Amino acid sequence: METELEEELQFHVDMAVRKQIAAGMRPVEARREVSKRFGGVEQVKEECRDMRGLRWMETILQDVRYALSGFGRTPGFALTVVATIALGLGLNTALFTIFNAYVLQPLRVSDPDRLYQFTWTNRNLQGHEFSWREFQEFQKQNPAFADVAAFHRVSFSRVEGHLMLGHLVTGNYFSMLGVSALRGRTLLPEDAEVPGSAPVAVLSADAWSKKFARDPNIIGKQIPIHGRRVQIVGVAQDGFRGISEVPLDFWVPVTLAPQLDEEASLFGPTQPERLTVVGRLRRDLTLRQAEGALTAWAQRHTADRPEAARATRAILRSKATTIPLEPEIVAAAVPVFLAFGMVLLIACANVANMMLARAMARQREIGIRLAMGAGRPRLIRQLLTESIVLAVPAGAAGFAISGQSIRWGQWLILNTIPSGYLEFFTVIPLQPDARVFCMMVAAAVLSALLFGIAPAIQATRSNVMQAARGEFTTDFRPARLRSALIVGQVTVSVLFLICAAVLIRVNDRMQRLDVGLQTRGVLELNLQDRFRARALQEVNSDPDVETIAGASKFPFGGYLPRVPVAAGQGSEQFPAGYLYASPAYFQIFRLPILRGRNFTPEEATAGAAVAILSEATAARLWPGHDALGQSLRIQANPLQPHSLRDVRQGPPTYSSVAIIGIARDAVNGWVGDGPDQTCIYLPTTALAPGNVVFARVRGDTKVAERRLDTMLTASSPGALDQIHPMNEVLAAQLYPFRALYWTSSALGGLALLLTLSGIYGVLSYVVTQRRKEIGIRMALGARPGAVAAMVLRQSLRFALAGAAIGGTAALGLLRVVASQIDMKMFGSFDWVGIGAGLLLAVAASTAAAWLPSRRAAGIEPVSTLRCD
Amino acid sequence: MKQRSRLDLLQGTLDLLILRALQTEPMHGWAISERIQQISQEVLQVNQGSLYPALHRLEHQGWIEAEWGISELGRRARFYRLNAAGRKQLELEANQWARFTAAIGRVLDLA
Repeated sequence: METELEEELQFHVDMAVRKQIAAGMRPVEARREVSKRFGGVEQVKEECRDMRGLRWMETILQDVRYALSGFGRTPGFALTVVATIALGLGLNTALFTIFNAYVLQPLRVSDPDRLYQFTWTNRNLQGHEFSWREFQEFQKQNPAFADVAAFHRVSFSRVEGHLMLGHLVTGNYFSMLGVSALRGRTLLPEDAEVPGSAPVAVLSADAWSKKFARDPNIIGKQIPIHGRRVQIVGVAQDGFRGISEVPLDFWVPVTLAPQLDEEASLFGPTQPERLTVVGRLRRDLTLRQAEGALTAWAQRHTADRPEAARATRAILRSKATTIPLEPEIVAAAVPVFLAFGMVLLIACANVANMMLARAMARQREIGIRLAMGAGRPRLIRQLLTESIVLAVPAGAAGFAISGQSIRWGQWLILNTIPSGYLEFFTVIPLQPDARVFCMMVAAAVLSALLFGIAPAIQATRSNVMQAARGEFTTDFRPARLRSALIVGQVTVSVLFLICAAVLIRVNDRMQRLDVGLQTRGVLELNLQDRFRARALQEVNSDPDVETIAGASKFPFGGYLPRVPVAAGQGSEQFPAGYLYASPAYFQIFRLPILRGRNFTPEEATAGAAVAILSEATAARLWPGHDALGQSLRIQANPLQPHSLRDVRQGPPTYSSVAIIGIARDAVNGWVGDGPDQTCIYLPTTALAPGNVVFARVRGDTKVAERRLDTMLTASSPGALDQIHPMNEVLAAQLYPFRALYWTSSALGGLALLLTLSGIYGVLSYVVTQRRKEIGIRMALGARPGAVAAMVLRQSLRFALAGAAIGGTAALGLLRVVASQIDMKMFGSFDWVGIGAGLLLAVAASTAAAWLPSRRAAGIEPVSTLRCD
Repeated sequence: MKQRSRLDLLQGTLDLLILRALQTEPMHGWAISERIQQISQEVLQVNQGSLYPALHRLEHQGWIEAEWGISELGRRARFYRLNAAGRKQLELEANQWARFTAAIGRVLDLA
């Protein structure tokens, strides 16, 4: 191709020369004349190639070859760039993989896009769950769905040593979702016809392989769920994990609810509202039409209820993915993506600076190419090709890093989570798919453009004339861009470091928090009510068990339920937390009753109208007075049972209680809120249904845990749902703070590292650039110290500018976060954390400048000046 | 920028001239430029710098086809031949040109 073009043009030239000679010109003159008229042969060739449209391909190949040979000569540079970008890309890909698995990947059901969960809200914007009767009526009258099913969860149950989570589902659940069986059969409508029908279950494929080791004889096997024997009739198709956020292990017919539920029967006279309704929308309706029809139905259906319980609007939530892509989800995901994206951005800024420095070093080459007639767009394209050539391996490495960091993160969690809570940590598989891959490629190309375009434009800006004369510095001033990049980097890393410092201190505060309850030597047991009396007797008779107590809720996790109280007649009402506790609760946790007395056994059994207040509650209700002997008014609101739904013992039925004791403050509610703001202890016993049981044991807690577990599992299988040492309960509640601390420290550290290497690179480069100037200064008598100080000052300028911007941004961000999250232990304003973050960033930037400054101070004036 | 606009102006007419020159028989580039100069009685000078890019473009557009042959002097040369699409294009462009010049002529006569 190339030689043909050459030959064709040569033929033309020869013919033209011949013609001139024929006209009487001397051969030498003829040649000169022709070549003068012809112009640049190379240029004509270039234009011919352009015309053929194939040129871009050739150019790209040429540029790629050129770039590769260039990087072959500077492998260190190429490796640094690839590693830096790969880190940024890898982290972001890991995050996106997780987001993708939960929010973007469609559920493994047929036609997931038509699947919606239906609920309605009342005027207080409270959601609604269905009672059995309501669901049946809806199923008959339903104006918008082709098919509807309902489900609700079965609490964690221990089966053959494994925690299992399942749903009670209506008979059409599997056919509605279009999910088939891998082994045996799925649940059928016949399975769920009448309450109390044959106890059968379908396992998830994951549970079958992880918890039953792919037992080939699984069909027909009987497993105890909450102590009830249930026969496995099938394994659901691979990849189906139910339609809730947490992957499920089994499904049983809803008609088993009375056997598996502890609470009032779904089919009983109280008609508890417990069912979630999911359906497949009719094809002839748009989402809006369906919502309209459902709103009308819900309003009609609730018209005869009290005002506050009437439906105002129907809500349809997409069930196409594990978590629907709703505005709230996006709002929650955006800050996380921003944080990770910023790390990538820093990496890009770093590389942009390196490319800029490299482009400067190549000014002579670029100038010569410009002078030779290469177009500027052509050169920019070539420099961008170099960026892309670097981005491709960076993307590949990033992909590997993302897979590795996900595995490493899971390993870290598996190895640090309190062992008793391991089985709660179930995640859906995080396989990167085509979507993740496309996002990766897009991010890689985008970052290549980000770090490549500014240097490419800057580098090709030089003037041909100056380049030809060998002057490269006068017209070439990327200093401003470089400074902007560095200040930007420092800004982001200051932001990260401050947030990390604040979070580290939150975690530190959490770990050092005095919970007021002595957890060592205490076990927490969750018992099924059916076996409660017998199990308690057995536990009590164990020689190593000292005391047994009961309470309506275990400490540290979840908020205390609240009820409006008032100090006396006519005084102001406010919502206060309450906890039912047996007398031994105070002994077991070594929670001292400071004044007054404990509940008597008689008061505990009778549920007498007496209460013990925490110190803070007493001070809040009777400031400056003695609360002891006073009486507290309790205003139970029958229309607000929602917040109390999880507590089987609702607020007390009596309207006033006598205060008989004051206990020291402790953490009975969520650990993130610190010691309870308010806590009213009301009497109960360990025997009362629904109560969590605590046992103080002698000797090794873990040993006692195992022994009690084996003993109860042998005597009454299914009686014990969970057993944990209270130490682990606390550790599990503190775990999220540790995880947050790791994540923020890792991101902060990475940002700092990238910024350090950025500052170091730029200053080293500046020192090299200014060798001549520095040499002259030193020849004129500048002391090495002064020269070093000059470099340090420059770094300090970057750092201070970045610190000012980043610090301001961090202040704003923390203020927003503090206003958004409801967590007392987050604290209002952590000046120490903010100061520490700022100081670290400034100190680190100065440290990064130290080596370049030493190099500047060590410049030999004589050798430098002789250099040119 | 300036150069580009001159080239654009030339392009349309040069294409027409090349197509017309090739109407009778296949020719190599040199012969095309000589033919155009001869027939126009040296009024139209074809710049080699535009001729070859134009030939390659026309070939790329599928109006002419090229193959290597032996020139009248016995040297290897690249001969261009008008194909069916090219003939159609020539007819079209010639018509347009005739209308164009006629219109300009009318304006000049009347103005």
